[in-house]
Amino acid sequence: MRFQDAARDARAVVYAGIQDDPVVARAAELLATASVAQRVLARAVMNGESGDGAAWRAMFPSLLANGAGDADRELSEAILAVSLDVAGRGEQARSQYRGAIVEALTERLLARRVPPAAVHRERRILFDGVRAEIHPYDVTVELRDRAEAYDCKWGARGINAEVLLQLDLARRNAEQEGVRLLPALVVFDARRSCRVRLARMAPTPGVRLVALESLDALAGARAAGTVAPVAARPEV
Amino acid sequence: MPEVRDAIERATSALDALARSGESVEDEWQYVTDLHAVWRARLVEVAAARGAAALDPAALEAVERASAETRAIDDPHRAIDWLSTFPQLVLLAVGEPL
Repeated sequence: MRFQDAARDARAVVYAGIQDDPVVARAAELLATASVAQRVLARAVMNGESGDGAAWRAMFPSLLANGAGDADRELSEAILAVSLDVAGRGEQARSQYRGAIVEALTERLLARRVPPAAVHRERRILFDGVRAEIHPYDVTVELRDRAEAYDCKWGARGINAEVLLQLDLARRNAEQEGVRLLPALVVFDARRSCRVRLARMAPTPGVRLVALESLDALAGARAAGTVAPVAARPEV
Repeated sequence: MPEVRDAIERATSALDALARSGESVEDEWQYVTDLHAVWRARLVEVAAARGAAALDPAALEAVERASAETRAIDDPHRAIDWLSTFPQLVLLAVGEPL
């Protein structure tokens, strides 16, 4: 098993411009230290219609009202500001920004658990005698004795059978070479929604799900929810 | 003083409207139906457990403002996004885990 930078086609070049936009790094930096509630705030504002900060302050009183602690409120205000910035870029652009933010957040959280130099973006994984997948993995962890491959999604709706298949296939190909590869889906959405989406897809027990409630598990922290196999029984 | 059930009643009504909008995306009909059922059940569960509990007026206003936000959505694809996001916001407002 070996890793390779993805080819830079036209789409990748455009997307790289978004990934390099300072607002993406700023959002990821803030969300890396955020609580679950603050991450829901970011999700709502970046999905939302209103560009009025006052409206969002009314919708999240526990985070943004006077009663909230100063430090938490300051972070919440910063998250609100950066989220409004992203939301204000128009529907098509913000969809790309949101994806790039989840990738950048994943990268930052992983870099708390493993050496930052081991975390890579937009990489293909190659196996001997196996035709390479066209789509690169959003984020990979490349260590001497094991690897991790992450596909990042803004919402549960982005989960699809092809992504699960590609992740699971990589795990199985690695296994055949005697290498340990942990594939996972990172979804910036509630676990409940992810499980609804997964419930009608073929189970892929080798692929893990990291939902909004358990993002800190990427950094090695214990989260409110555990990182679960995507085959976990649905709640529908 | 408002009660938790007041917030949940408003929220389920808004959630139902989001689902009706999202259902028009034919490819996602099943997902929308499942998502609606699961989140609605979670909200109803909260009302059943704590419906009569007093609720901070600011929390009720939060749910009303969020419901108004959902009414501003006229794109069914956006409605599907909100079908997941909106109940998360409501649960936070009434002090419940996702």
